[in-house]
Amino acid sequence: MEVEQSSIRSDSTCEFLDAEGDPEATDPEANLYQEADHDDPEAEQQQNHSIISELRDGLGRGDGSTALSPEPGEPAKGLAASVESLALSTSTSAKTEDSSSGVEEEYDYQHDSLWRGQKKHIFILSEAGKPIFSLHGNEDKLATLFGVIQALVSFVQLGQDAITSIHAGGIKFAFMQRSSLILVAASRSNMSVQQLQLQLGDVYNQILSILTYSHMTKIFEKRKNFDLRRLLSGSERLFYNLLANDSSSAKVSNNIFTFLTNSIRVFPLSTTIRSQITSAIQSNCSKIKNLVFAVLIANNKLIALVRMKKYSIHPADLRLIFNLVECSESFKSSENWSPICLPKFDMNGYLHAHVSYLADDCQACLLLLSVDRDAFFTLAEAKAKITDKLRKNHCLEAINEELQQPFNVKLYQQVVGIPELRHFLYKPKTTAQLLCPMLRHPYKSLEELERLEAIYCDLLHRIHNSARPLKLIYEVKEREVVLAWATGTYELYAVFEPVVDKATVIKYVDKLIKWIEKEYEVYFIRNHATF
Amino acid sequence: MASRKKSLLKVIILGDSSVGKTSLMNQYVNKRFSNQYKATIGADFCTKEVVVNDRVVTMQIWDTAGQERFQSLGVAFYRGADCCVLVYDVTAPNSFKNLDSWRDEFLIQASPRDPEHFPFVVLGNKVDLDNRQVSTRRAQQWCQSKNDIPYYETSAKEGINVEMAFQIIAKNALELEAEAEVINDFPDQITLGPQSNRPSNPDNCQC
Repeated sequence: MEVEQSSIRSDSTCEFLDAEGDPEATDPEANLYQEADHDDPEAEQQQNHSIISELRDGLGRGDGSTALSPEPGEPAKGLAASVESLALSTSTSAKTEDSSSGVEEEYDYQHDSLWRGQKKHIFILSEAGKPIFSLHGNEDKLATLFGVIQALVSFVQLGQDAITSIHAGGIKFAFMQRSSLILVAASRSNMSVQQLQLQLGDVYNQILSILTYSHMTKIFEKRKNFDLRRLLSGSERLFYNLLANDSSSAKVSNNIFTFLTNSIRVFPLSTTIRSQITSAIQSNCSKIKNLVFAVLIANNKLIALVRMKKYSIHPADLRLIFNLVECSESFKSSENWSPICLPKFDMNGYLHAHVSYLADDCQACLLLLSVDRDAFFTLAEAKAKITDKLRKNHCLEAINEELQQPFNVKLYQQVVGIPELRHFLYKPKTTAQLLCPMLRHPYKSLEELERLEAIYCDLLHRIHNSARPLKLIYEVKEREVVLAWATGTYELYAVFEPVVDKATVIKYVDKLIKWIEKEYEVYFIRNHATF
Repeated sequence: MASRKKSLLKVIILGDSSVGKTSLMNQYVNKRFSNQYKATIGADFCTKEVVVNDRVVTMQIWDTAGQERFQSLGVAFYRGADCCVLVYDVTAPNSFKNLDSWRDEFLIQASPRDPEHFPFVVLGNKVDLDNRQVSTRRAQQWCQSKNDIPYYETSAKEGINVEMAFQIIAKNALELEAEAEVINDFPDQITLGPQSNRPSNPDNCQC
């Protein structure tokens, strides 16, 4: 395989490695991982090309060349082909023939078109190359692939560098190294590398949330060959749910947009109700020592947050809480006492969470997070009082009313008021809270949601481009008109019917913004109260 | 952690160029042998599931390049190995002499916690050939001097001892793994300082 192009950025991260080439012409000798039954007597003397030597060439040439895109019409399949062939030519499916029982049939994912065709893969491995997690497929059966990933990472590390991404064959491979872990996302979507890394960041935080940073580091310091699955078993559902929060699962939801904008969503409530709820929590918790946060959530949205003075909660931490609640059905049946690390708050220790739903007839989940591991009974008592109070002043009813609506009526009507406005994302600059209407036609199908996701990914990427951030994007696309607008006070991303003209879009955006400003207190929480 | 169903072992094969590392792996995993020599570039990976003491173990076998020019995969490459297989060619005395440096190299690069007791296995390969140069006795002596490394004579071509050698490799690595206890100390309780140690984030990241 001829390496026509190998470019890296000069700032010592290996940003792009485009090795183009015609995969059809791939000589078996060109593969790093040769199959045993390819016989070629001349191979010994040949100066072979391989991924590793391509990488080496690329790194050695570190001239900061910026020609990153493949030639038009010639997809940069080369490296992808090689990366795939790394996997392809490793022998995964070997069954011990002489062991009569106990060994299940090995499944060869790397030759499975369904597995290979997945839109997105997420792999977690230890620095030693031991599998920890794969979004699709049994990670044990992918051990060879994990070995290849580790070899790539290790090789680039050798040059005092770090591999960031590989772009090839329509697939982006984003790499992230954190403490003793390697996280890799491989995506066919048009999520940018930064966006993929945001997601990997959430995955990494999820691991810390279960283990804490100090515990994990201690383990790997003692034993680099440690199999981390031993400590994560039983928690897999958290990862699946976290990653299923986008269109890679069959779920059509707005969840993907919260992580893309690093935000959370707020449960709409009138200011009176919300402040009653907040004060009910405050009055019953203010005397409890060591209670850091009280978080009330419903339907994946924040109802209220009360915090200890001087402490705030990061949206990434809140998303972990949402994730935990969303995929723990058991919380519904009883009170729970669960250690949870919120890495942005303190990555080295656990908070202890009293988790319970307010009442059988009100599906809002209250978490009382304390640093005191013996606070269960104090917190259980406080929770009972909070529920009583909320029942008395009809807050439970108000929450239920909102919950029972299939979608927020006002918000829906507003969008209906502008029938050409299909969907939007609105995020104030001052808070990490996101407002978006429910998904409706035409984005209710998974395929269309993926298209919507791609539109937003692209807009967000260009607005937040660190090299050249944009303030305003207006684009007439084939199937919709899109607008992105970053002002000093908010970011708005909106998708319209393809028929509207610019003047109408401006008029509608104006109308929408005015409405949001008027209803701001219902859809956003300006300040979180303290105990 | 008795409930754990499965284990995964990272096994690294080291040795001079053309002693038969890849052939041993292929014989073991695929039951195949080829007379043609093809240099490994960088590394090659295989997995194989075996049953050791009623436990299913996945062996993640890392076959490395013997040729020096392909060896620079970095220190991180060896990290976290559970076992290291040193291979030499019984017809090539130099490949035997070099075992010392391969062993040292591995211990330096991988820096295992307990180098004295790290599980190595030595394989003298190509015993099917007539022109043997390194005697069994000599190899055994070397192995004894290195804290009794288990020694096997193999032929990747004839499949002699290959299966058994890898079975021992898995067994030894697994024993070491079993010894190590999971550190179960709960992290210290978070102490809330008088002042916030978490200053508000400038890029309005708070909710």
